[in-house]
Amino acid sequence: MARVPITKPSTFAQYATLLKKDLRREFRTREMLTSMGIYALLVIIVYGAALALTVRDLDIVRMSGGLLWALIVFTSLLGLGRSFAHEKEQGCLEGVLLVPLDRSVVFLAKATSSFLFMLAVEVVAVPLFFFFFMTTAAPAPTLGLIVVPLFVGTLGMAGIGTMLSTITMNTRARDVMLAVLFIPIVFPLLYACVTATTAAIVGADPWTDFFVMPLVLAGGYDIVMLLVCWVLYDFVVSA
Amino acid sequence: MNAIEAKHLSKAFGTRKAVDDVTFALPEGAFLSIFGPNGAGKTTLLRVLSTLDRPSGGEAFVSGADIKEHPDTVRERIGLISHQPMLYPDLTAEENLLLYAQLYGVEDAQGRVDQLLQAVGLAHRKLDLTRTFSRGMTQRLSIARALVHDPAVVFLDEPYSGLDPHAVDIFDELIEAQRDERTFVMVSHDLEKGFHTCTHALVLARGRIVAFAPKNELDFDEFSQLYHETVGMGVA
Repeated sequence: MARVPITKPSTFAQYATLLKKDLRREFRTREMLTSMGIYALLVIIVYGAALALTVRDLDIVRMSGGLLWALIVFTSLLGLGRSFAHEKEQGCLEGVLLVPLDRSVVFLAKATSSFLFMLAVEVVAVPLFFFFFMTTAAPAPTLGLIVVPLFVGTLGMAGIGTMLSTITMNTRARDVMLAVLFIPIVFPLLYACVTATTAAIVGADPWTDFFVMPLVLAGGYDIVMLLVCWVLYDFVVSA
Repeated sequence: MNAIEAKHLSKAFGTRKAVDDVTFALPEGAFLSIFGPNGAGKTTLLRVLSTLDRPSGGEAFVSGADIKEHPDTVRERIGLISHQPMLYPDLTAEENLLLYAQLYGVEDAQGRVDQLLQAVGLAHRKLDLTRTFSRGMTQRLSIARALVHDPAVVFLDEPYSGLDPHAVDIFDELIEAQRDERTFVMVSHDLEKGFHTCTHALVLARGRIVAFAPKNELDFDEFSQLYHETVGMGVA
């Protein structure tokens, strides 16, 4: 019998195939985007209620960096928790693991899709946040620079969150475990991104201390953590 | 040449040995049915042989490749059909098969997918999401998924689970059509059906082999009695 001709695909081709699958699935169901988007809106509403009476007495400009990142962290947790749920439902992850591929390709594809979904939600949630809370305040002209810490922070959170989501996938209290592990591990990244974001909104000098240096630290943290996740993923997903 | 060769293979979870010192050799083209009570280690053995779990000890070769040293080579040569379909419910039948065909590197992926959809009788539903499929249809598509890269060895882990009699008949026909081309290893609870289908039978209890022999050396009644005695032996 003539065997089916097979040519081992490149790592990039396998990565692109897995990423395309995640994007197709999400654009068809809008499961993560909808739940994350609604959750972000609800957090903004809660912020509105919590700050309604005190907002004039508070320096909302200085607080906005922290509030914005709290919104992003909790919204991301919701999405990251779901990212592997559908992989587990019908044994799909095992189907992929039966394919001869580098397991870290699975990590990269999933981290990329989570990163894109988180960015998509931020594109809507961040302007909404500013619309609700910053219309009476006066942010600095450097406000637009917040896209840099948002990008760096979201990238790191997507990578770390994908790794932790894999680890907690088979635990009983999956969502709680994810949060318990995620927040302490991303804390240095979160702290740096809050500082840089606040610096961009407030526009305070000196720039190197409040914007550039935290971003350098956040970028370094991203590189180290993503490399660690890349290297350890084979062990984690096999265990 | 042997399709599968296991030597003192074991798999432990903590202190509990789910597979314990398993040694057997299965020739190419054979159909092995693995029997045993719940918790005997049947599925664990299949997972170890299919590289989904790493063995704790011993060695095994599937289609000539070492499962520990060359797991990717093993993966190129095996397919697994389990009670879980390993299909994305929000992708269509065609998209699911194309996904796996592209990951394996099948050269004419679309042609192979069309051929398999035709073979499993789902060509007319290829654009439908698999979440709309019945259990029987999903299992047929699962066969196509497992065969998309034309594996030499196919593992079946309780494939009849949840299928109605008609779906079982269709499933049997599809597997029967593949028997000349591949080696099959099936975990089954249905003693009569599993024995009828196989060329070799293996009974596991507490992770150990209780019996392994070609079917032509076995008498069904004696085999059945042995099996029922092992069921009483409990889990690993």
